Amino acid sequence: MSDEEAGRRRARGELESEVMAALWAADEPLTPTAVQTALGGSLAYNTVQTILIRLLEKDLVRRGPADRGRGHAYWPAQDAATLTATRMRAALDERPDRQAVLQQFAAGLEAGDVETLRALLAERDS
Amino acid sequence: MTVTVYLPLLLPVLVALAARHLADRARPRAAVLGLVTASVLTAAASLWSLLLLVLTLFDDLPAMEALNSRSGMHLPEPVPDWVAVTATVVLAACLINLARDVHLRHGTARRLRTAGPTADGVMVADWSEPLAVAVPGRPGQVLLTTGMLRVLDADERRAVLAHERAHLAHHHHLAVLLAAAAASVNPLLRPARDAVIYQVERWADEEAAAGLGNRDLVARAVARAALATADYRTPTPALGVHGGVIVRRVKALHRPAPAGAGWLLALPAAAVIACIALEAIATLDFFQLLDAWLIG
Repeated sequence: MSDEEAGRRRARGELESEVMAALWAADEPLTPTAVQTALGGSLAYNTVQTILIRLLEKDLVRRGPADRGRGHAYWPAQDAATLTATRMRAALDERPDRQAVLQQFAAGLEAGDVETLRALLAERDS
Repeated sequence: MTVTVYLPLLLPVLVALAARHLADRARPRAAVLGLVTASVLTAAASLWSLLLLVLTLFDDLPAMEALNSRSGMHLPEPVPDWVAVTATVVLAACLINLARDVHLRHGTARRLRTAGPTADGVMVADWSEPLAVAVPGRPGQVLLTTGMLRVLDADERRAVLAHERAHLAHHHHLAVLLAAAAASVNPLLRPARDAVIYQVERWADEEAAAGLGNRDLVARAVARAALATADYRTPTPALGVHGGVIVRRVKALHRPAPAGAGWLLALPAAAVIACIALEAIATLDFFQLLDAWLIG
């Protein structure tokens, strides 16, 4: 496998999770065009379509007729994620010290941090 | 065999000192590698010291006791028995702690790894609490909750994924495991363990920022995700005046990437060299003692 090919494979792989994430972040089923928009419009329509089909084959998403016009709208498969959450909670609830065992993104907030972080966010947004 | 066997038990203080001063000055990668190496080696020296102390109980074995009374002479005993007995208890406790810690981490990772289906290494759990976790293993996986996905925009989600993938790519769980194991052997290494836990987060932040070419974006993702967790768990009491680890990470991302301060690693390096030298002397002393017991 050439480097370029490896790069493409990796990129395509990471796109699957990004599309998954976009579907979960949305409140309603998304058409491929809507997914495209949600991801910042940097992906080709066909690429999005291909990824959605692959996720459908993996049983990670479901689809139905779109509200408007033709084509399909996609939403994440609820049952799998609910089961994942149940198993995750079971694994974590055993560990009162989960902080010590897992690398969690953005854990460890201290008193007073909330105000500081809000100020830092506001400062950068302006 | 008095000072040389006890001193290595205290030298990890130097590693802890370095951990404090490395804070946001050194490159996270250098800090992690330096602190983990120094922690593991000085902890190994602590274990060796304890083992030597335990072995000084040798002269209390029945056979040796018999020899002692028959020859009518007193065997040299540089280490009081109560110290050696204490060392035995501490050594046993260390090893039990170590085994339990490794077992628990392994078990949690295994259970999380099989929690659900993945899309290229990413599992989504439908749970309102915002969580993003790197689950080590072969292959490693990222576990995200819908609570986390919903508080971030598309770019920020990309930043979180890049951060978690950096954890997996660089085997950060191993660095943390080794630092924690070292700290469970010698409690003086706890500050070094905490520094390693912080520095692997910084390392992943820096890697995500470099990969996406945007430090502000990663800073924003960290801040937003942390703020979202405030609704679910009460923030811990403040430890310092400069804010918690999240604030430090966000501020570090608002500054240029740290470039050097590798010289700060001289301190843990000195601790390691001193430990090895002292253990070598203590071991030689112990063999001389053994000679004195067996021949004398």
